[in-house]
Parts: sequence; structure tokens; C-alpha cells
Amino acid sequence: MSLALAVMILLITLIIAALAIYLISTIAELIKINRGLAVVIGSVGEIVAKSAPVNGVVDAINSNLVAGRNLLENLFLKKGGDDCGGLVESLFPGEGAKFLQRVGRRGSVVNTGIVYTRGTQILASLGRGAPIGAAHARGPAVRDPKYATTAASMLYPRPGGDPKARPKSPVVGGNSPRQFEAALTPGTRPRLRDGSEAPPPSAAPDMPMGGSTGNVPMPSFGGGPSAPTGRVEIATPPPAAAAPPPAEDAGGDEPGRLNVKGKRPWER
Amino acid sequence: MIYLWVMDIILVASLFLLGGLLKGVLGAAKSIVPRIDAIAGVAAAASKDLDAVVVLLTTQNYISQIVGSVANYGGSLDIALPDA
Repeated sequence: MSLALAVMILLITLIIAALAIYLISTIAELIKINRGLAVVIGSVGEIVAKSAPVNGVVDAINSNLVAGRNLLENLFLKKGGDDCGGLVESLFPGEGAKFLQRVGRRGSVVNTGIVYTRGTQILASLGRGAPIGAAHARGPAVRDPKYATTAASMLYPRPGGDPKARPKSPVVGGNSPRQFEAALTPGTRPRLRDGSEAPPPSAAPDMPMGGSTGNVPMPSFGGGPSAPTGRVEIATPPPAAAAPPPAEDAGGDEPGRLNVKGKRPWER
Repeated sequence: MIYLWVMDIILVASLFLLGGLLKGVLGAAKSIVPRIDAIAGVAAAASKDLDAVVVLLTTQNYISQIVGSVANYGGSLDIALPDA
């Protein structure tokens, strides 16, 4: 056997040995990979199973939140009117125009938080007649941080007139001024509404209820003034006096009187 | 005779080339294993984190109640406040 042939056989043997070694090592690594993937697939299956209902739940939550947002926005648009953008701008600078664009409205956005004092918008909506947006949209702020109350009061007409002309609050106590004329008896005043002297009050008629002067028979318990016997008896009322006959005159305008046709004034 | 030597040279070159290629394949296979292990750990942790997904159902219920309360409050404001 020649030397060249022997070298060839040796090289072929080395090649086969290298192939075997590397391929066996690769197969071993692939087996490890297979086991690792089996573990990973189990965990991934759990992830898929656990995250499956998330989509529906999140969609439901989102739909609820969108419904609430639409409700509040529509209420805001209804109550705020054209000042919605300015109110949003005052709370979230830079968002007023976006808000108007999102709700499909147009108009200029006036930052009411800068132009007006806190609460001016509310007072204006209550009918105080504040000059909302009058020449202050782009000019300097009318709100004076040091004298904010003065600036706010200058925005309004005085709703109650001059404060000095208003009547003062009543004083309660012994030092209170007598602003009203005292009544003689309950319900009777010495002067009429026009200031003239009122006629002297007549004698108080007998009240048909209550006291001992009444004519209405009261139920007596247990047989009158004697000691109670435990039984409740209603005393029979005395026979009522005969009702007076209606007046014969033709004064039919008074209630309770009969007119010439024998009917009440309100009957036709 | 010279052909045998030429074949020997070719076999030597093939041996080095084949050895290099197989070494590369083995290195790539070995580099996959730790990453698979890392992915398995992350997947297990993610699966454990997703145990809190059940709380979303409670959150959905709460949000429905809150939106209902907000709707009632908005209705009251609609009556209480004047329109613009």
C-alpha cells in the first residue's frame, strides 16, 4: 500500500470521526432545546388561557367609561354652552381647542381661568349679567391677583343697588328698634293700611270651641261630674234650636240667601 | 500516483471546512439552550402575574356601578343647573 493511499484513508477516518462527534453534540443540544421548549409551551398555554377573557372585559370597561364620558360631555355642553372650550382650557391648558374639535364645535377658545376670577362664570350663568368675553379675550387679564375681589365686583352691575341704601338686618334682642307698630290684640292694628285710624275693636265673639263658655255640648265621661266608672258614655246633645227661616227680602247677593228664583246666588 | 496526493489535499481541506461548519452549528445549538431557559422563566412569571386578571371582573362591576352613579349625578345636575 502506498503512502498516499494510507494518508487518504486516515483523512477519511478523521472526517467521519469529526462528523460523528459534532453531530452527536448537536443532537444533544437539540434535545435540551426540545425539553426547554416543552416547558415554555406549558407556560405560554397558561398565559393564553388566562389572558383570553381580558379582551372582552376591557372592551366592556371601555364601553362603560365611554358612555360615562359622553354623558358628562353632553351635560357639560348643555350647561356650559359656548364657554365649554374656555372652561376646558382653564383646567387643561391646550386642550380647549381639541375638546371643541372632538365634540364637533367651532369657535374661539377663551381661557376663562385667566380672564375671569374664580366663580365669575357660575355667577354669570346664574343671571348676574357679567360681560363674558367682552374685549378681554386677547388683552391682559382683568383679574388682579392682589385685589381679586375688587376686580370681580367691577365686572358686575350691583344687583341690589347701593349697599348703603339697603335696610340693615333686623336687630334681635332688647335693643332692637321697633320698626312695626305693636298690635293691640292679635290680628287687630290701631291703624289701617292707608294710615287712618282704625275703628275700635268690637267685643270678641264667643268662641264656639274650647272654653267653658261654649254652647256646644261636650261629651261627658262616666256620667258627668261623678267619679269615673270605666264606661265611656256620650251625652245626648240637647235638641238644636230651629234654624231661623231665610230672610224674605230679596237680598240674594249674600251667600246663603235665596234669590227670587229660589236658588243660591251662585246657582243658575 | 499524483492523483492520490491531490485527493489527499482535497480531503484535508474538506476536513477543516467540515469541522468549522459543524463547530458553528454546535455553538448555535448551545447558545439556544440558555435562552430557552430564560424564556421559560419569563413565561412562568408572566403566567403567575396573569393570576390577577380575575380582578378585572370585579373592576368591571365597580366601573359599571360608578358609571351608573355618575349618570344619576348627571341627571341631578341637569335638573339643578340651568342650561346655557
